[in-house]
Amino acid sequence: MDRDLQDRLNKLHIPDPQASARNEALRAALAEYQRRQQAGEFRTKGFFGRLRLMGKLFQGGFPMNRTAVVTAGLSVVLVAFVSALVIPQFTSYRARPIRTEAPEPSAPESVPVVADLNESRPAADPAMKTGAPRDAKMEMRVATGAVAPGERPVPLPPEYVGRDRFESFDPNPVRRTQEDPVSTFSVDVDTASYAFVRRALNAGHLPPKHAVRVEELINYFDYDYAIPGDRSVPFRPTVSVFPTPWNPQTRLLHIGIQGFDLVPDERPRANLVFLVDVSGSMGMPDKLPLLKNAFRMLVDRMQAEDTVALVVYAGSAGTVLEPTPVRDKGRILAALDRLEAGGSTAGGEGIRSAYALAESSFDPKGVNRVILATDGDFNVGIQDPETLQHFVEREREKGIYLSVLGFGQGNYNDALMQKLAQNGNGNAAYIDTLQEARKVLVEEAASTLFPIANDVKIQVEFNPSRVAEYRLIGYESRQLRREDFNNDRVDAGEIGAGHSVTALYEITPVGSPAQRIDDLRYGSRAEENSKAGASGEIAFLRIRYKLPEAQESRIVERPITTADVLPTVQGASEDSRFAAAVAAFGQRLRGGTYLEGFTWDDILSLAETARGKDRFGYRTEFLNLVRLAETARAMGEK
Amino acid sequence: MENPSDQNLVDRARKGDASAFECLASRHYTTVYRAAYRWCGVREDAEDITQDVFVKVAQKLGSFAGRASFRTWLYRITVNTAMDFGRRRSTRTALSSAWKAEMEGPAENPGEEAEAVRQLYAAMDGLPPRQKAAALLVWAEGFTHKEAASVLECAEATVSAHLFQARKNLQHLLSEVS
Repeated sequence: MDRDLQDRLNKLHIPDPQASARNEALRAALAEYQRRQQAGEFRTKGFFGRLRLMGKLFQGGFPMNRTAVVTAGLSVVLVAFVSALVIPQFTSYRARPIRTEAPEPSAPESVPVVADLNESRPAADPAMKTGAPRDAKMEMRVATGAVAPGERPVPLPPEYVGRDRFESFDPNPVRRTQEDPVSTFSVDVDTASYAFVRRALNAGHLPPKHAVRVEELINYFDYDYAIPGDRSVPFRPTVSVFPTPWNPQTRLLHIGIQGFDLVPDERPRANLVFLVDVSGSMGMPDKLPLLKNAFRMLVDRMQAEDTVALVVYAGSAGTVLEPTPVRDKGRILAALDRLEAGGSTAGGEGIRSAYALAESSFDPKGVNRVILATDGDFNVGIQDPETLQHFVEREREKGIYLSVLGFGQGNYNDALMQKLAQNGNGNAAYIDTLQEARKVLVEEAASTLFPIANDVKIQVEFNPSRVAEYRLIGYESRQLRREDFNNDRVDAGEIGAGHSVTALYEITPVGSPAQRIDDLRYGSRAEENSKAGASGEIAFLRIRYKLPEAQESRIVERPITTADVLPTVQGASEDSRFAAAVAAFGQRLRGGTYLEGFTWDDILSLAETARGKDRFGYRTEFLNLVRLAETARAMGEK
Repeated sequence: MENPSDQNLVDRARKGDASAFECLASRHYTTVYRAAYRWCGVREDAEDITQDVFVKVAQKLGSFAGRASFRTWLYRITVNTAMDFGRRRSTRTALSSAWKAEMEGPAENPGEEAEAVRQLYAAMDGLPPRQKAAALLVWAEGFTHKEAASVLECAEATVSAHLFQARKNLQHLLSEVS
């Protein structure tokens, strides 16, 4: 039987792997190798650094001189010695069967799952787990070793391996007003994309195209829009039209919407449940430790009656902290401090327990929210992403919202994060630095936590006698059908206290040579003299929203007329110009189809004059990113 | 030195010689890819698994203690990666769908024998992961029970037990198919 099976199994036709896949795999592996190398993992002591030269010599027939042979021998001994010292304590559990959670009906020695986490950590990826302690030791070893200055080559920025997952999308197309005069989309106050882009650029590479969501880049910044007077009409639109910086033949329509801000006394009570991923991969400094600091800052900002609970998911899912009033801050902070990364992400009932806790201390008048913090593995007890989405949706209907905070790079599941946050009426933010944590959780705590309007949809109807074509910049993943605007059952984005939302359209006036789509030969332009045409209306803006708790939507309307038109770019407000610069930046990162050769330098000079007060330095940081983008390599480019 | 041994390359890669690592990875790419393909039956998936495997090799090389041979260690990573992949996949779709989907698609060689081979692989896909791993290692890759035990980090007797069960399960599954 064995022979027979063997023969048959060997008859399988295996197609050859694609050369591109092979190259990509080898490149990714080498990039990871180099990353580890920089972390000091493959270096023993400084004076062996010259052994690197052997890499080059190897290709040319491998002539080694005597010194190299001697040092090679020495370093083998040293490796053996050091690993004898350092590695055994970690290999003791590595040597066990790793896959204790896999079904093993017939395995006679199948290992019982040991309760003690520190003793045995069953994990999908043992290297991730052992990574933290081992890296620390190794790094220490290198640091104390005598590394001769100048001998260590200048480390290249790590190659982007590109296993983060993003939903792909194409930029919104140019639309002909005559055929399609109405544009409808949902607001988006997420900022995750900006932080991701920043991280990529700071590491010296261009972000993957689909990671760039232009609207999130624009909405990352604060704009000084007029503040609405009271909460009955929670926001007010600010509108201007000015020449497009990258194309003098077209105009930019800038729509800014400012939500009213809550004074601290008016804040509803907050009932927050942190659901924290403590899987092994979270151990890196830019993940769990950063998250702890971020939460600490948030807790500091909360009021005495607010409650905080803490649930972790990983090898052992569990409640670390029952809902505790912030009055008892010490207990919360202590629980936070105890969090440690370790274990796999196979996480029992993580998300269910988080929601159950939120429900147990549910405050019908307050804000009830689960805040999920993870580096991408949503193995939170509900495996199937769709089931997870539905679960989040059902909980949203009960009044418990979900916010998602993303950490780290390499395994980041942006697509799912976005979907979850959208379905849970929450926002998704990506946290790469402590400064970003401060921005999201402290400065914008009110907007992140306290919604002032739900299901906010924007609809712009263009007047065909004045606007030949239009193009919405960004919001690709937020498009709604025209009929969805009036359908209160169609979900859309929420706006938090103090949030502002900005949208830009590039519009082509009738008669402009910049028109991209030819007129139809048989199309009629007879209705040119419609009543609106004569009234000087360029477009009509409608915003539909629901107040928190309300099921029925309300509407804010505003015509956009020739009175809103500014003759020059310089005449536009700083906010408008800055938003235009960010829009150009985002489009450029995505390939710049519509940018008419507008360069990085053009973007820079446009943004430079529009920095404004820039109290927190965000706009200045943006200027740096533009400079970095100019020199960054595309992924895979040498 | 024209054809350095795996051990030699591993040693050098562990000391920071990137070209030794490159050589190691490109030397074993096809082996891993073929093993991965046997596991999942879809070219693109096998390519993904293979990429994961080599990224992990880079990650773990620093902790590769050298008690097992490099080949054993590489297969261990491959099997674990493939299992992870299978687990992720099975959360999305029904088990063994990859092989079935492949069968339904335009076969490159629609001969009767090829069909029977694919059915056998589809049947193996229905086995518990570790049984499947033992079966593929021994029957398809030609490992001895002892070598397979070392890859799977279990006792030799366990491999034999896995194979015994696998054979029994397969007979059952195969008779169902035909």
